[in-house]
Amino acid sequence: MKVLAEENIDAIEAVDEAEISTVVRNLPAKAQPAGHNSVLSYIILPTIFLLVTLLGGFRFGGADNSFIFLKPELVCLVFGAVLLVLFLRSGMIAIDGWFSHHYSGLHNTADGFVLLTLFTASVQLFNSVLPERGLAFWVVGFCFFWTLWNDLFAEFDAVKLLRSLIALFGMAFVVKYLVLANLTAPASDSWIQSVFQNPGKEAVTWLLDLPRYAKGTGYVQFFTVALYFLGLFLTPQTTRK
Amino acid sequence: MQDKYIHILSIALITAGLVVTAFLYWAEPRSLAEVATKGQVVTGTYSIDKAEVDRGIASFHSDRFEEARAAFIRADPERRDAGTQFYVAYSFYRQGWGRVYNDDSLFQFGLDAVNRVIELDPNYRSPDQTLSLRTPSDLKSELEEGLKITASDLNPMRLTRERK
Repeated sequence: MKVLAEENIDAIEAVDEAEISTVVRNLPAKAQPAGHNSVLSYIILPTIFLLVTLLGGFRFGGADNSFIFLKPELVCLVFGAVLLVLFLRSGMIAIDGWFSHHYSGLHNTADGFVLLTLFTASVQLFNSVLPERGLAFWVVGFCFFWTLWNDLFAEFDAVKLLRSLIALFGMAFVVKYLVLANLTAPASDSWIQSVFQNPGKEAVTWLLDLPRYAKGTGYVQFFTVALYFLGLFLTPQTTRK
Repeated sequence: MQDKYIHILSIALITAGLVVTAFLYWAEPRSLAEVATKGQVVTGTYSIDKAEVDRGIASFHSDRFEEARAAFIRADPERRDAGTQFYVAYSFYRQGWGRVYNDDSLFQFGLDAVNRVIELDPNYRSPDQTLSLRTPSDLKSELEEGLKITASDLNPMRLTRERK
């Protein structure tokens, strides 16, 4: 009898919206529902994610520092969608805290738009850290797939997920913009000249089909990755006041 | 500020941001100057620089073809004006033409340019009376003939032909 009564109390508590909003999950301090701020959630946060969306596929050409805007591969969209599922599963984003029939249509639409920027930023982050083509693309892409697939079935909380993602994207950034970038031969006017000057690098560049970007690309992408994680840190679990 | 206005502002900001981003990834500008030019194309305010076109035409008639093309590129960086692109194609033809043999690479560039003219305006006719080939189709057939290797290339009478 006593157990049944306790279950009923639990059920009542679960449907009580006010109580749900106060359920404290294991989240970073700034992502607690109590800390929700409209300007932060609807202006600053989407601005950060839009910047990531803009800069994720941005590169400087190796020869003349010209702008290059790389559209994301289809696999980046798939990875981005999986990442959103992970955010939902870990409780980092409570779907009932972002969309509710208690909210006005405008509120729900605005929330949908903010989550859309989170998705586009996630897609572009994969575009940023995945090598563009060749063997490196397949190897790093497979590592991402393997990790995300495992994560889909793992028990997570928001903090662990955030740490895991920082480690994952940090590693991918190091591989692409430090290791592979240092193995890439610099752009040169003459192919023969570059073979004589950098035979090893030229061979690796040719074998791995590495694109030649200017050094500025790494700096831009470093800030893109940093901005994305700042955005994730600022993302509230719910937009309920 | 009321939440309602913040929501409206947020939706407007995100829509504008996504449109700008989509435009940049679609247009793929290579410099800040190109961002402005491509923006003009999208908004329909793009126009060629008449002064540069006149400078290019003057250089073209003086057989300074590289100088002429540089002026035409400055005048029409987006390559959207049939008249300017016709002069670009013609400059490649005249520069590549030779009494004994033609420069195939220049003729190929000319062919690419004349194909652009046909895409932009298939019925284009040059108002320049000094040109012997005044339509893109005439210029294209002349360029294609120049690129072909035939038995007539060995005809010594070819040495008497004139550049058009």
